[in-house]
Amino acid sequence: MSRGNNRRRSDPLSWAVLREGKSIWSINAVPGHSVYGESLRRIQGMECRRWDPTRSKLGAAILRTRNDAALLLPEEGSTVLYLGAGHGTSISHLHDHLCGEGNDLKGRLVAVDLAPRCLRELTHMAKSRPGLVPVLGDARQHAAWGVLIPTKVNWLFQDVAQAGQVDIFIGACRRFLNVGGVGLLSLKAASERWTGEGEAALFAKVEHTLERSGFNIEERIELTGYEDNHVLFHVRRTE
Amino acid sequence: MWLWYDWRAAAVADDSGNIMDVEQWDGFFDERTVVQRLECIAAKGLTPEAIILKERFPEAKVRVHGELDLPDADWPLPDSDAQTAVDAAALAMANRGVAQAAGDPDRRLEHLMRASDELRSTFLTMEARLVEWVGLFLPEARFGKDRSSLGRLVGDAESLEHLSQTLEVSLPPVGPSKPEWKVLKEWGASVAVFRGQLDRMENGIRALAEEHLPSVSALLGPLLAARLSVEAHGRMRLARLPAGTVQVLGAEKAFFNHLKTGAPPPKHGHIFMHPWISRSPRWVRGKISRTVAARASIAAKVDAFEGVPWGEEEMRELDEKVEAIKAAHPRPPSRRN
Repeated sequence: MSRGNNRRRSDPLSWAVLREGKSIWSINAVPGHSVYGESLRRIQGMECRRWDPTRSKLGAAILRTRNDAALLLPEEGSTVLYLGAGHGTSISHLHDHLCGEGNDLKGRLVAVDLAPRCLRELTHMAKSRPGLVPVLGDARQHAAWGVLIPTKVNWLFQDVAQAGQVDIFIGACRRFLNVGGVGLLSLKAASERWTGEGEAALFAKVEHTLERSGFNIEERIELTGYEDNHVLFHVRRTE
Repeated sequence: MWLWYDWRAAAVADDSGNIMDVEQWDGFFDERTVVQRLECIAAKGLTPEAIILKERFPEAKVRVHGELDLPDADWPLPDSDAQTAVDAAALAMANRGVAQAAGDPDRRLEHLMRASDELRSTFLTMEARLVEWVGLFLPEARFGKDRSSLGRLVGDAESLEHLSQTLEVSLPPVGPSKPEWKVLKEWGASVAVFRGQLDRMENGIRALAEEHLPSVSALLGPLLAARLSVEAHGRMRLARLPAGTVQVLGAEKAFFNHLKTGAPPPKHGHIFMHPWISRSPRWVRGKISRTVAARASIAAKVDAFEGVPWGEEEMRELDEKVEAIKAAHPRPPSRRN
Protein backbone atom coordinates (compact mmCIF):
# COMPACT_ATOMS: atom_id res chain seq x y z
CA MET A 1 0.00 0.00 0.00
CA SER A 2 2.71 2.45 0.85
CA ARG A 3 5.08 3.38 -1.89
CA GLY A 4 8.75 3.22 -1.00
CA ASN A 5 9.56 6.89 -1.60
CA ASN A 6 6.45 8.00 0.23
CA ARG A 7 7.25 6.32 3.50
CA ARG A 8 8.43 8.60 6.24
CA ARG A 9 11.94 7.96 7.34
CA SER A 10 12.04 6.96 10.95
CA ASP A 11 15.18 6.66 12.95
CA PRO A 12 15.67 6.17 16.68
CA LEU A 13 17.86 8.76 18.40
CA SER A 14 17.92 6.90 21.69
CA TRP A 15 16.02 4.17 23.43
CA ALA A 16 13.17 6.61 24.07
CA VAL A 17 13.36 9.22 21.34
CA LEU A 18 12.35 8.56 17.76
CA ARG A 19 12.52 10.92 14.84
CA GLU A 20 9.96 10.32 12.16
CA GLY A 21 10.17 12.72 9.25
CA LYS A 22 9.50 16.13 10.71
CA SER A 23 8.18 15.00 14.04
CA ILE A 24 9.89 13.64 17.12
CA TRP A 25 8.36 11.22 19.58
CA SER A 26 9.47 10.22 23.05
CA ILE A 27 8.24 7.23 25.01
CA ASN A 28 5.92 8.56 27.70
CA ALA A 29 7.28 8.06 31.20
CA VAL A 30 3.80 8.68 32.61
CA PRO A 31 1.56 6.67 30.28
CA GLY A 32 -1.83 8.17 29.63
CA HIS A 33 -0.80 11.72 30.49
CA SER A 34 -0.02 14.48 28.09
CA VAL A 35 2.00 17.29 29.67
CA TYR A 36 1.25 20.36 27.57
CA GLY A 37 -1.50 19.13 25.25
CA GLU A 38 0.77 17.23 22.85
CA SER A 39 -0.66 14.24 21.02
CA LEU A 40 -0.10 10.70 22.25
CA ARG A 41 0.38 7.76 19.94
CA ARG A 42 1.35 4.14 20.16
CA ILE A 43 4.52 3.26 18.34
CA GLN A 44 5.53 -0.42 18.46
CA GLY A 45 3.42 -0.98 21.52
CA MET A 46 4.87 1.90 23.48
CA GLU A 47 2.92 5.07 24.16
CA CYS A 48 4.76 8.08 22.79
CA ARG A 49 4.35 11.82 23.20
CA ARG A 50 4.89 14.16 20.28
CA TRP A 51 7.76 16.57 20.93
CA ASP A 52 6.61 19.94 19.66
CA PRO A 53 9.62 21.70 18.10
CA THR A 54 7.86 25.08 18.11
CA ARG A 55 7.64 24.97 21.89
CA SER A 56 10.95 23.38 22.72
CA LYS A 57 14.26 24.71 21.50
CA LEU A 58 15.90 21.38 22.13
CA GLY A 59 13.26 19.76 19.93
CA ALA A 60 13.80 22.36 17.23
CA ALA A 61 17.55 21.77 17.39
CA ILE A 62 17.08 18.03 16.97
CA LEU A 63 15.21 18.65 13.74
CA ARG A 64 17.54 21.36 12.50
CA THR A 65 20.94 19.86 13.24
CA ARG A 66 23.04 18.67 10.33
CA ASN A 67 25.06 16.34 12.52
CA ASP A 68 23.80 13.24 14.26
CA ALA A 69 20.90 14.44 16.41
CA ALA A 70 21.61 11.75 18.98
CA LEU A 71 24.67 13.77 19.99
CA LEU A 72 22.38 16.47 21.37
CA LEU A 73 20.86 14.14 23.93
CA PRO A 74 22.54 13.19 27.20
CA GLU A 75 23.38 9.65 28.12
CA GLU A 76 20.33 8.02 29.68
CA GLY A 77 20.48 7.48 33.42
CA SER A 78 23.01 10.26 33.97
CA THR A 79 22.72 13.50 35.92
CA VAL A 80 22.21 16.61 33.83
CA LEU A 81 21.74 20.31 34.52
CA TYR A 82 19.15 22.42 32.81
CA LEU A 83 19.24 26.18 33.40
CA GLY A 84 16.17 28.20 32.54
CA ALA A 85 13.63 25.42 32.77
CA GLY A 86 10.61 27.44 31.66
CA HIS A 87 7.30 25.65 31.65
CA GLY A 88 8.90 22.26 31.30
CA THR A 89 8.18 21.35 27.69
CA SER A 90 11.72 20.30 26.87
CA ILE A 91 12.16 19.06 30.42
CA SER A 92 9.32 16.57 30.11
CA HIS A 93 10.75 14.96 26.98
CA LEU A 94 14.24 15.04 28.37
CA HIS A 95 12.91 13.27 31.42
CA ASP A 96 11.30 10.60 29.22
CA HIS A 97 14.70 9.95 27.74
CA LEU A 98 16.80 10.30 30.85
CA CYS A 99 14.73 8.60 33.50
CA GLY A 100 11.99 6.52 31.90
CA GLU A 101 8.92 5.31 33.68
CA GLY A 102 9.25 5.53 37.48
CA ASN A 103 12.90 6.54 37.00
CA ASP A 104 13.96 3.00 36.12
CA LEU A 105 17.17 4.36 34.65
CA LYS A 106 18.12 6.32 37.79
CA GLY A 107 18.62 9.56 35.91
CA ARG A 108 18.64 12.97 37.57
CA LEU A 109 17.50 16.13 35.88
CA VAL A 110 18.22 19.27 37.89
CA ALA A 111 16.08 22.06 36.46
CA VAL A 112 16.71 25.63 37.62
CA ASP A 113 14.41 28.56 36.97
CA LEU A 114 13.92 31.94 38.54
CA ALA A 115 10.19 32.41 38.01
CA PRO A 116 7.76 30.96 40.56
CA ARG A 117 5.17 30.80 37.79
CA CYS A 118 7.33 28.34 35.85
CA LEU A 119 8.27 26.36 38.93
CA ARG A 120 4.60 25.82 39.64
CA GLU A 121 4.33 23.64 36.54
CA LEU A 122 7.62 21.92 37.25
CA THR A 123 6.89 20.98 40.84
CA HIS A 124 3.59 19.57 39.71
CA MET A 125 5.36 17.54 37.04
CA ALA A 126 8.00 16.37 39.50
CA LYS A 127 5.33 14.59 41.53
CA SER A 128 4.68 12.11 38.75
CA ARG A 129 8.21 12.09 37.37
CA PRO A 130 10.80 10.94 39.91
CA GLY A 131 14.31 12.02 38.97
CA LEU A 132 13.22 15.53 38.09
CA VAL A 133 14.58 18.01 40.66
CA PRO A 134 13.09 21.48 40.24
CA VAL A 135 15.02 24.33 41.83
CA LEU A 136 13.72 27.83 42.36
CA GLY A 137 16.78 29.97 41.98
CA ASP A 138 18.93 32.24 39.90
CA ALA A 139 21.05 30.51 37.26
CA ARG A 140 23.90 32.81 38.20
CA GLN A 141 23.89 32.00 41.89
CA HIS A 142 25.65 28.67 41.83
CA ALA A 143 26.26 28.54 45.56
CA ALA A 144 22.53 28.38 46.30
CA TRP A 145 21.92 25.11 44.47
CA GLY A 146 25.38 23.85 43.51
CA VAL A 147 25.39 21.29 46.33
CA LEU A 148 22.60 19.44 44.52
CA ILE A 149 25.11 18.37 41.89
CA PRO A 150 27.67 16.15 43.62
CA THR A 151 29.82 15.43 40.58
CA LYS A 152 30.27 17.33 37.36
CA VAL A 153 27.76 16.52 34.66
CA ASN A 154 28.30 15.56 31.05
CA TRP A 155 25.40 17.49 29.63
CA LEU A 156 24.29 21.04 30.38
CA PHE A 157 21.57 23.03 28.69
CA GLN A 158 20.95 26.72 29.11
CA ASP A 159 18.03 28.78 27.90
CA VAL A 160 17.73 31.86 30.08
CA ALA A 161 17.05 34.67 27.57
CA GLN A 162 18.54 37.44 29.64
CA ALA A 163 21.41 39.81 29.14
CA GLY A 164 24.81 38.21 29.63
CA GLN A 165 23.59 34.74 28.65
CA VAL A 166 27.00 33.78 27.36
CA ASP A 167 28.82 34.70 30.56
CA ILE A 168 26.25 32.81 32.60
CA PHE A 169 26.80 29.79 30.38
CA ILE A 170 30.58 29.93 30.59
CA GLY A 171 30.45 30.32 34.37
CA ALA A 172 28.06 27.40 34.78
CA CYS A 173 30.09 25.13 32.50
CA ARG A 174 33.32 25.85 34.38
CA ARG A 175 31.68 24.83 37.62
CA PHE A 176 29.38 22.01 36.57
CA LEU A 177 30.43 20.56 33.22
CA ASN A 178 33.09 17.88 32.82
CA VAL A 179 35.90 18.41 30.38
CA GLY A 180 34.65 16.70 27.24
CA GLY A 181 31.02 17.22 28.26
CA VAL A 182 28.36 18.62 25.97
CA GLY A 183 27.01 22.12 26.52
CA LEU A 184 24.01 23.49 24.70
CA LEU A 185 23.42 27.23 24.75
CA SER A 186 20.22 28.59 23.33
CA LEU A 187 20.94 32.19 22.43
CA LYS A 188 18.25 34.76 21.94
CA ALA A 189 19.61 37.62 19.87
CA ALA A 190 17.13 40.11 21.29
CA SER A 191 18.38 39.56 24.83
CA GLU A 192 21.86 40.74 24.03
CA ARG A 193 22.85 44.34 23.67
CA TRP A 194 22.24 45.44 20.12
CA THR A 195 25.51 46.50 18.56
CA GLY A 196 24.02 47.69 15.30
CA GLU A 197 25.95 45.17 13.26
CA GLY A 198 23.18 42.66 12.83
CA GLU A 199 22.46 39.25 14.20
CA ALA A 200 25.10 37.39 12.22
CA ALA A 201 27.83 39.57 13.72
CA LEU A 202 26.42 39.03 17.18
CA PHE A 203 26.37 35.26 16.80
CA ALA A 204 29.88 35.29 15.39
CA LYS A 205 31.06 37.29 18.38
CA VAL A 206 29.48 34.80 20.77
CA GLU A 207 31.16 31.97 18.88
CA HIS A 208 34.49 33.70 19.27
CA THR A 209 33.94 34.25 23.01
CA LEU A 210 33.05 30.60 23.50
CA GLU A 211 36.11 29.40 21.59
CA ARG A 212 38.35 31.64 23.61
CA SER A 213 36.86 30.35 26.87
CA GLY A 214 37.81 26.75 26.22
CA PHE A 215 34.94 25.38 24.19
CA ASN A 216 34.98 23.63 20.90
CA ILE A 217 32.02 24.64 18.76
CA GLU A 218 30.54 21.44 17.38
CA GLU A 219 27.72 23.16 15.57
CA ARG A 220 25.77 26.36 15.41
CA ILE A 221 22.16 25.37 14.87
CA GLU A 222 19.84 28.01 13.46
CA LEU A 223 16.34 27.59 14.86
CA THR A 224 14.70 29.99 12.38
CA GLY A 225 11.27 28.74 11.50
CA TYR A 226 10.67 27.16 14.87
CA GLU A 227 12.01 29.92 17.07
CA ASP A 228 13.01 33.07 15.21
CA ASN A 229 16.15 35.02 16.08
CA HIS A 230 17.47 32.11 18.11
CA VAL A 231 20.46 29.89 17.58
CA LEU A 232 21.56 26.94 19.61
CA PHE A 233 25.26 26.45 20.14
CA HIS A 234 26.35 22.86 20.54
CA VAL A 235 29.74 22.98 22.23
CA ARG A 236 32.13 20.62 23.89
CA ARG A 237 34.28 21.68 26.81
CA THR A 238 37.93 21.21 26.00
CA GLU A 239 39.75 22.60 29.01
CA MET B 1 44.89 23.72 53.31
CA TRP B 2 41.28 23.55 52.18
CA LEU B 3 38.01 22.99 53.99
CA TRP B 4 35.35 21.54 51.70
CA TYR B 5 31.72 21.19 52.72
CA ASP B 6 28.36 20.36 51.29
CA TRP B 7 24.98 19.99 52.95
CA ARG B 8 25.83 16.82 54.92
CA ALA B 9 29.57 16.53 55.26
CA ALA B 10 32.73 18.52 55.55
CA ALA B 11 36.36 17.57 54.95
CA VAL B 12 39.79 19.08 55.16
CA ALA B 13 42.50 18.36 52.62
CA ASP B 14 45.99 19.70 52.06
CA ASP B 15 47.05 21.41 48.85
CA SER B 16 47.89 18.16 47.10
CA GLY B 17 44.44 16.75 47.82
CA ASN B 18 45.14 14.34 50.68
CA ILE B 19 42.15 14.16 52.97
CA MET B 20 43.17 14.98 56.53
CA ASP B 21 39.87 14.99 58.37
CA VAL B 22 36.23 14.25 57.61
CA GLU B 23 33.12 15.15 59.51
CA GLN B 24 29.82 13.57 58.44
CA TRP B 25 26.34 14.47 59.56
CA ASP B 26 25.15 11.35 61.38
CA GLY B 27 21.54 12.49 61.67
CA PHE B 28 18.58 10.95 59.98
CA PHE B 29 17.90 12.81 56.73
CA ASP B 30 14.53 14.26 57.61
CA GLU B 31 13.21 16.73 55.12
CA ARG B 32 12.94 19.72 57.41
CA THR B 33 16.52 19.58 58.58
CA VAL B 34 17.85 19.01 55.06
CA VAL B 35 15.90 22.04 53.87
CA GLN B 36 17.34 24.07 56.73
CA ARG B 37 20.85 23.03 55.76
CA LEU B 38 20.30 23.85 52.08
CA GLU B 39 18.95 27.26 53.03
CA CYS B 40 21.92 27.83 55.27
CA ILE B 41 24.26 27.09 52.36
CA ALA B 42 22.25 29.28 50.00
CA ALA B 43 22.67 32.12 52.49
CA LYS B 44 26.44 31.46 52.34
CA GLY B 45 26.48 30.09 55.87
CA LEU B 46 28.41 27.14 57.33
CA THR B 47 26.92 23.77 58.24
CA PRO B 48 27.53 22.37 61.75
CA GLU B 49 30.14 19.94 60.32
CA ALA B 50 32.01 22.77 58.61
CA ILE B 51 31.99 24.76 61.83
CA ILE B 52 33.51 21.82 63.76
CA LEU B 53 36.30 21.42 61.22
CA LYS B 54 36.84 25.16 61.02
CA GLU B 55 37.55 25.12 64.74
CA ARG B 56 39.97 22.22 64.32
CA PHE B 57 41.73 23.77 61.31
CA PRO B 58 41.37 27.53 61.64
CA GLU B 59 43.90 28.18 58.87
CA ALA B 60 42.01 26.15 56.22
CA LYS B 61 40.37 28.05 53.36
CA VAL B 62 36.64 27.36 53.48
CA ARG B 63 34.93 26.51 50.17
CA VAL B 64 31.48 25.14 49.47
CA HIS B 65 31.25 22.12 47.17
CA GLY B 66 31.89 22.94 43.53
CA GLU B 67 33.94 26.08 43.91
CA LEU B 68 36.54 26.39 41.21
CA ASP B 69 39.70 26.87 43.25
CA LEU B 70 39.23 23.69 45.33
CA PRO B 71 41.90 21.11 44.56
CA ASP B 72 40.88 17.67 43.29
CA ALA B 73 40.48 15.32 46.20
CA ASP B 74 38.46 12.34 47.28
CA TRP B 75 35.81 14.45 48.98
CA PRO B 76 33.14 12.45 50.84
CA LEU B 77 30.35 12.87 48.27
CA PRO B 78 26.77 11.88 49.10
CA ASP B 79 25.63 8.30 48.51
CA SER B 80 22.40 7.49 46.75
CA ASP B 81 20.30 7.61 49.95
CA ALA B 82 21.59 11.06 50.73
CA GLN B 83 20.98 12.09 47.15
CA THR B 84 17.37 10.93 47.32
CA ALA B 85 16.91 12.86 50.56
CA VAL B 86 18.32 16.05 49.13
CA ASP B 87 16.22 15.74 45.97
CA ALA B 88 13.10 15.50 48.11
CA ALA B 89 14.23 18.52 50.10
CA ALA B 90 14.87 20.48 46.90
CA LEU B 91 11.37 19.70 45.72
CA ALA B 92 9.94 20.83 49.06
CA MET B 93 11.93 24.05 48.84
CA ALA B 94 10.68 24.68 45.32
CA ASN B 95 7.13 24.08 46.45
CA ARG B 96 7.56 26.49 49.30
CA GLY B 97 9.09 29.13 47.06
CA VAL B 98 6.13 28.82 44.71
CA ALA B 99 3.71 29.11 47.63
CA GLN B 100 5.50 32.19 48.90
CA ALA B 101 5.03 33.88 45.54
CA ALA B 102 1.34 34.15 46.45
CA GLY B 103 2.30 36.58 49.18
CA ASP B 104 4.18 38.82 46.76
CA PRO B 105 2.26 42.14 46.70
CA ASP B 106 3.76 43.01 43.31
CA ARG B 107 2.07 40.04 41.71
CA ARG B 108 -1.17 40.62 43.58
CA LEU B 109 -1.20 44.25 42.51
CA GLU B 110 -0.53 43.28 38.93
CA HIS B 111 -3.50 40.92 38.80
CA LEU B 112 -5.78 43.48 40.44
CA MET B 113 -4.64 46.20 38.08
CA ARG B 114 -4.91 44.17 34.89
CA ALA B 115 -8.25 42.72 35.96
CA SER B 116 -9.63 46.16 36.61
CA ASP B 117 -8.37 47.38 33.22
CA GLU B 118 -10.06 44.48 31.47
CA LEU B 119 -13.26 44.95 33.41
CA ARG B 120 -13.30 48.67 32.74
CA SER B 121 -12.96 48.24 29.00
CA THR B 122 -15.75 45.63 28.99
CA PHE B 123 -17.89 47.83 31.19
CA LEU B 124 -17.48 50.91 29.01
CA THR B 125 -18.38 49.01 25.84
CA MET B 126 -21.42 47.46 27.49
CA GLU B 127 -22.56 50.75 28.95
CA ALA B 128 -22.25 52.52 25.60
CA ARG B 129 -24.30 49.76 24.01
CA LEU B 130 -26.93 50.09 26.73
CA VAL B 131 -27.29 53.83 26.12
CA GLU B 132 -27.69 53.27 22.39
CA TRP B 133 -30.09 50.41 22.93
CA VAL B 134 -32.38 52.22 25.35
CA GLY B 135 -32.13 55.32 23.14
CA LEU B 136 -33.52 53.31 20.23
CA PHE B 137 -36.72 52.52 22.09
CA LEU B 138 -36.97 55.77 24.04
CA PRO B 139 -35.62 58.39 21.62
CA GLU B 140 -36.58 61.23 23.90
CA ALA B 141 -34.49 60.03 26.81
CA ARG B 142 -31.35 62.04 27.42
CA PHE B 143 -28.68 60.61 29.70
CA GLY B 144 -26.10 63.34 29.37
CA LYS B 145 -23.00 62.73 31.35
CA ASP B 146 -24.53 60.91 34.23
CA ARG B 147 -25.09 57.38 33.08
CA SER B 148 -24.24 55.90 36.42
CA SER B 149 -27.74 54.84 37.38
CA LEU B 150 -28.96 53.80 33.93
CA GLY B 151 -27.89 50.19 34.30
CA ARG B 152 -29.70 49.86 37.59
CA LEU B 153 -32.82 51.59 36.27
CA VAL B 154 -33.06 49.26 33.28
CA GLY B 155 -32.31 46.25 35.39
CA ASP B 156 -34.99 47.13 37.91
CA ALA B 157 -37.69 48.17 35.41
CA GLU B 158 -40.61 45.76 34.98
CA SER B 159 -41.24 46.77 31.40
CA LEU B 160 -40.47 49.50 28.89
CA GLU B 161 -43.55 51.42 30.07
CA HIS B 162 -42.24 51.29 33.57
CA LEU B 163 -38.82 52.53 32.42
CA SER B 164 -40.32 55.36 30.39
CA GLN B 165 -42.25 56.50 33.45
CA THR B 166 -39.09 56.48 35.57
CA LEU B 167 -37.20 58.44 32.94
CA GLU B 168 -40.24 60.70 32.38
CA VAL B 169 -40.34 60.29 28.62
CA SER B 170 -43.11 59.21 26.28
CA LEU B 171 -43.40 55.71 24.91
CA PRO B 172 -42.89 55.18 21.17
CA PRO B 173 -45.58 53.27 19.20
CA VAL B 174 -43.38 50.25 18.56
CA GLY B 175 -41.54 48.62 21.43
CA PRO B 176 -39.37 45.56 21.92
CA SER B 177 -40.88 42.10 21.91
CA LYS B 178 -41.06 40.29 25.22
CA PRO B 179 -37.86 38.23 24.86
CA GLU B 180 -36.06 41.26 23.44
CA TRP B 181 -37.00 43.34 26.49
CA LYS B 182 -35.86 40.58 28.75
CA VAL B 183 -32.42 40.57 27.15
CA LEU B 184 -32.18 44.34 27.37
CA LYS B 185 -33.17 44.27 31.03
CA GLU B 186 -30.54 41.65 31.77
CA TRP B 187 -27.97 43.69 29.91
CA GLY B 188 -28.79 46.66 32.13
CA ALA B 189 -28.52 44.49 35.21
CA SER B 190 -25.04 43.28 34.21
CA VAL B 191 -23.90 46.84 33.55
CA ALA B 192 -24.98 47.71 37.09
CA VAL B 193 -23.18 44.66 38.47
CA PHE B 194 -19.99 45.54 36.61
CA ARG B 195 -20.08 49.07 37.92
CA GLY B 196 -20.23 47.87 41.50
CA GLN B 197 -17.53 45.31 40.85
CA LEU B 198 -15.28 47.94 39.34
CA ASP B 199 -15.67 50.17 42.39
CA ARG B 200 -14.84 47.34 44.74
CA MET B 201 -11.84 46.41 42.62
CA GLU B 202 -10.47 49.95 42.79
CA ASN B 203 -10.92 49.94 46.53
CA GLY B 204 -8.91 46.74 46.62
CA ILE B 205 -6.14 48.34 44.57
CA ARG B 206 -6.19 51.43 46.80
CA ALA B 207 -5.88 49.39 49.98
CA LEU B 208 -3.01 47.26 48.65
CA ALA B 209 -1.16 50.19 47.10
CA GLU B 210 -1.37 52.25 50.28
CA GLU B 211 0.11 49.37 52.19
CA HIS B 212 2.75 48.38 49.63
CA LEU B 213 3.67 51.82 48.24
CA PRO B 214 2.78 54.26 51.04
CA SER B 215 5.06 57.10 49.93
CA VAL B 216 4.24 57.03 46.24
CA SER B 217 0.56 56.71 47.16
CA ALA B 218 0.76 59.74 49.43
CA LEU B 219 2.41 61.70 46.65
CA LEU B 220 0.42 60.69 43.60
CA GLY B 221 -2.59 58.81 44.90
CA PRO B 222 -2.82 55.03 45.29
CA LEU B 223 -4.23 54.25 41.86
CA LEU B 224 -1.47 56.02 39.99
CA ALA B 225 1.13 54.58 42.35
CA ALA B 226 -0.16 51.08 41.64
CA ARG B 227 -0.18 51.75 37.91
CA LEU B 228 3.45 52.90 37.92
CA SER B 229 4.57 49.95 39.99
CA VAL B 230 2.82 47.43 37.76
CA GLU B 231 4.11 49.09 34.62
CA ALA B 232 7.65 48.96 36.02
CA HIS B 233 7.19 45.23 36.85
CA GLY B 234 7.37 45.54 40.59
CA ARG B 235 8.24 47.92 43.37
CA MET B 236 11.93 47.09 43.43
CA ARG B 237 12.29 47.72 39.72
CA LEU B 238 10.36 50.95 40.00
CA ALA B 239 12.77 52.06 42.69
CA ARG B 240 15.74 51.27 40.49
CA LEU B 241 14.42 53.15 37.49
CA PRO B 242 15.81 56.62 36.82
CA ALA B 243 13.35 59.46 37.25
CA GLY B 244 13.38 60.14 33.51
CA THR B 245 12.04 56.64 32.89
CA VAL B 246 9.36 57.03 35.57
CA GLN B 247 8.31 60.20 33.76
CA VAL B 248 7.63 58.40 30.48
CA LEU B 249 6.44 55.03 31.86
CA GLY B 250 3.33 54.24 29.86
CA ALA B 251 4.43 56.34 26.88
CA GLU B 252 6.66 53.65 25.45
CA LYS B 253 5.22 53.93 21.98
CA ALA B 254 5.94 57.64 21.71
CA PHE B 255 9.30 57.19 23.38
CA PHE B 256 10.57 54.55 21.01
CA ASN B 257 9.15 56.46 18.10
CA HIS B 258 11.26 59.34 19.33
CA LEU B 259 14.38 57.18 19.43
CA LYS B 260 13.65 55.74 16.01
CA THR B 261 12.52 58.75 14.02
CA GLY B 262 13.70 61.70 16.07
CA ALA B 263 10.16 62.90 16.74
CA PRO B 264 9.81 65.03 19.89
CA PRO B 265 10.09 62.89 23.03
CA PRO B 266 6.98 62.32 25.14
CA LYS B 267 6.69 64.63 28.13
CA HIS B 268 4.71 62.28 30.31
CA GLY B 269 3.41 58.74 30.53
CA HIS B 270 1.00 57.45 33.15
CA ILE B 271 1.75 60.38 35.47
CA PHE B 272 -0.28 62.51 33.06
CA MET B 273 -3.30 61.09 34.88
CA HIS B 274 -2.41 63.22 37.87
CA PRO B 275 -4.26 66.56 37.95
CA TRP B 276 -0.98 68.39 38.63
CA ILE B 277 -0.13 67.61 35.03
CA SER B 278 -3.40 67.04 33.22
CA ARG B 279 -5.00 70.17 34.71
CA SER B 280 -2.00 72.40 34.06
CA PRO B 281 -1.48 74.50 30.95
CA ARG B 282 0.20 72.71 28.10
CA TRP B 283 3.47 74.64 28.21
CA VAL B 284 4.36 73.74 31.81
CA ARG B 285 3.32 70.08 31.70
CA GLY B 286 6.80 68.91 30.70
CA LYS B 287 8.47 70.86 33.50
CA ILE B 288 5.95 69.73 36.10
CA SER B 289 6.07 66.10 35.06
CA ARG B 290 9.84 66.16 35.31
CA THR B 291 9.66 67.48 38.89
CA VAL B 292 6.87 65.12 39.87
CA ALA B 293 8.63 62.10 38.37
CA ALA B 294 11.85 62.94 40.17
CA ARG B 295 10.01 63.15 43.47
CA ALA B 296 7.98 59.99 42.78
CA SER B 297 11.18 58.14 41.98
CA ILE B 298 12.62 59.06 45.38
CA ALA B 299 9.35 58.04 47.03
CA ALA B 300 9.56 54.66 45.27
CA LYS B 301 13.04 54.17 46.71
CA VAL B 302 11.76 55.02 50.17
CA ASP B 303 9.05 52.37 49.78
CA ALA B 304 11.22 49.68 48.25
CA PHE B 305 13.91 49.97 50.90
CA GLU B 306 11.29 50.36 53.63
CA GLY B 307 12.19 53.83 54.87
CA VAL B 308 9.90 56.08 56.87
CA PRO B 309 6.88 56.54 54.59
CA TRP B 310 6.17 59.97 53.22
CA GLY B 311 2.95 61.74 54.08
CA GLU B 312 1.10 65.01 53.83
CA GLU B 313 4.14 67.16 54.37
CA GLU B 314 6.10 65.91 51.37
CA MET B 315 2.95 66.11 49.29
CA ARG B 316 2.51 69.78 50.22
CA GLU B 317 6.16 70.51 49.49
CA LEU B 318 5.81 69.13 45.99
CA ASP B 319 2.53 70.94 45.54
CA GLU B 320 4.28 74.22 46.32
CA LYS B 321 6.99 73.44 43.81
CA VAL B 322 4.41 72.70 41.16
CA GLU B 323 2.60 75.93 41.92
CA ALA B 324 5.91 77.80 41.70
CA ILE B 325 6.56 76.37 38.25
CA LYS B 326 3.10 77.39 37.13
CA ALA B 327 3.58 80.88 38.57
CA ALA B 328 6.94 81.28 36.83
CA HIS B 329 5.43 80.48 33.44
CA PRO B 330 2.05 82.14 33.30
CA ARG B 331 1.99 82.53 29.52
CA PRO B 332 2.89 80.21 26.69
CA PRO B 333 6.39 80.76 25.34
CA SER B 334 6.47 82.90 22.25
CA ARG B 335 6.73 81.06 18.99
CA ARG B 336 9.51 83.31 17.76
CA ASN B 337 13.24 82.51 17.87
